[in-house]
Amino acid sequence: MAGLTVAISNPSGLHARPAATFVKAAAGFAADIRITNLSRDPGRTASAKSILGVLQLGVGQGDELRIEAEGADAERALEELGALVASGLGEQPGS
Amino acid sequence: MTRLRGIAAARGVAVAPPHVLGTATPGGAERRDLDAAVDVAVTQLDGLRTRLVAGGREDEAGIFEAQALLARDEELLAGARERIAAGGPTDEAIVAAGDAAAAVLEALDDPLLAARAADVRDVAARIARAVRGEAVAQLSRRSIVVAHDLAPSVTAELEPSLLAGIALEAGSGTSHAAILARALEIPAVLAIPGLLAAAAGAAELVVDGTTGEVIVDPDAADRAAAIGAGEAAAAGRARDRALRSRPLATADGVRVMLAANIGRPEEAQRAVDAGAEGIGLLRTEFMFGDRATAPDAAAQAAAYASVLRTFGSRPVVVRLLDVGGDKPLPYVPATPEANPFLGVRAIRLAARHPELLEVQLRGILAAAETAGVAEPHVMAPMVADLADLRMVRRLLDEALASGASTVRPRLGIMVEVPSAVLIADQLAAEADFLSIGTNDLTQYVLAADRTNPELADRQDPAHPAVLRAIGMVVAGAARSGVPVAVCGEMAGDPLGALLLVGLGITELSMDPAAFGAVKRALGAVSMAEAQELARHALDQTDAAAVRTMGADLLTRA
Repeated sequence: MAGLTVAISNPSGLHARPAATFVKAAAGFAADIRITNLSRDPGRTASAKSILGVLQLGVGQGDELRIEAEGADAERALEELGALVASGLGEQPGS
Repeated sequence: MTRLRGIAAARGVAVAPPHVLGTATPGGAERRDLDAAVDVAVTQLDGLRTRLVAGGREDEAGIFEAQALLARDEELLAGARERIAAGGPTDEAIVAAGDAAAAVLEALDDPLLAARAADVRDVAARIARAVRGEAVAQLSRRSIVVAHDLAPSVTAELEPSLLAGIALEAGSGTSHAAILARALEIPAVLAIPGLLAAAAGAAELVVDGTTGEVIVDPDAADRAAAIGAGEAAAAGRARDRALRSRPLATADGVRVMLAANIGRPEEAQRAVDAGAEGIGLLRTEFMFGDRATAPDAAAQAAAYASVLRTFGSRPVVVRLLDVGGDKPLPYVPATPEANPFLGVRAIRLAARHPELLEVQLRGILAAAETAGVAEPHVMAPMVADLADLRMVRRLLDEALASGASTVRPRLGIMVEVPSAVLIADQLAAEADFLSIGTNDLTQYVLAADRTNPELADRQDPAHPAVLRAIGMVVAGAARSGVPVAVCGEMAGDPLGALLLVGLGITELSMDPAAFGAVKRALGAVSMAEAQELARHALDQTDAAAVRTMGADLLTRA
């Protein structure tokens, strides 16, 4: 299983629209993708393809998120999801 | 023909056949399994989203986009399947799974996620309805929707182009249906006793959302009058729309700030759309009514933050809780009073139960932090003297210190008590802004209870005594260079607005429905004319004389 850790820069964290953007992107990959909010509860992991699971991680601005993927397109999934988070998930950082 | 009366909730007049929405599903509808019900729910949600996007309401569309994702969510559905496997009925299983998931979100103690919890429950309820085969309310022709009450998820399904009007047996001026009707500019009358019985089997209804009258099966004369009134109201709205982007100013270009009064966060977008430059009065009673316990700071922060975000850098004045013995809250012990309007109300109540105000102030500060508003505006109602203002200031300072908040709130007061008028200079020396509440000021200056219908003719703020009081506030505030706004109904009355601008008021805050009429009235008069009108009005002997005197200026609009 491959993984990477990213920091969430969105002012509202992974809530509402940013969460929906993230989940829709994750759903586009065949790989099994799991995420963990290291800053809140490292013991709780959710499917990146579940909006409910992502919301329940309570990811706020500044939180560190661990993304892990397993499957055919796992590497590409990590690369693209990492870039999506870094780009602010469609929100203006700091706005 | 039957005439009924209710609360006028959204202006305009509609004439159309009734479409009665019942609570029960007609005929043994077929039950669906979970997967089929999810498909139905997703189709409904996608349809709603598409319709809202087409109508330019992107923000509301986003809610249904997120809900469509939730409806297909593998974790939510896994929770439902477990319960079905354990032998539970499908509709109860999805509702229970939704409740469990929502509870996890609520436990995170984050106002934004608490709002998502409501979405989860809404989605689960929608899927459960699809499981039971309940039809959504579908209009087949232009109709007036008649019902006991309308739930938000039901109103959202109604095709707006076929919705001619709304008539409800329940509801109130601040209920969801009223807000929706105003946003869609559909006439609505709510809280009509006997409506469902009278409308059963009727061929046609007249709904007059301006007067609050509903006529079942109108005769030819009433029908013609209603159609004429409906066309006139529509023409007025079209004129108002044409003025939307024009600022509020006199004929010679003196700008007056135009702000909106709102009573619920859902009304904020409509105020922006109507051209509001800010919110001059956000009433916060919506947070406190219809509940058994006081709302916590997080819930309040979430509600206020949504308004602050909608307005961004434009000011939003949040008024602190304004209730009294006339409408006691179940969680605040109250002693019956002979004169509730002269009793323990607004900040007087807060002085006895400081935790109410402390929690609300923390909620406002948290909302400002969340929304990135550096200088939130907080307004204290019923301030009678400096001791009242200093009490609120102290609580505000404590709330700032306790939350290590970095925002710099501005604290203003409502001027509505005659003592505050007489010492406006003292209050302005310590307040950051003043806003005159002309409704209460009128009842207090003229000593006429505004809830007593026998005294309705004594509630006109154009009375010279009230105008002189307003002039005193402007003069007192000018010594400290503090701006004076008006957020009473007088601001939304065309003649009232002329008088106020003539008296030196620099901000008018009103129901957005009045924007067009006030812009037209002020735009037809120069600043010098408004000042002359105000000067002469002060010398009249009653409100009727002031209105007669101003009638000429209004005909220009």
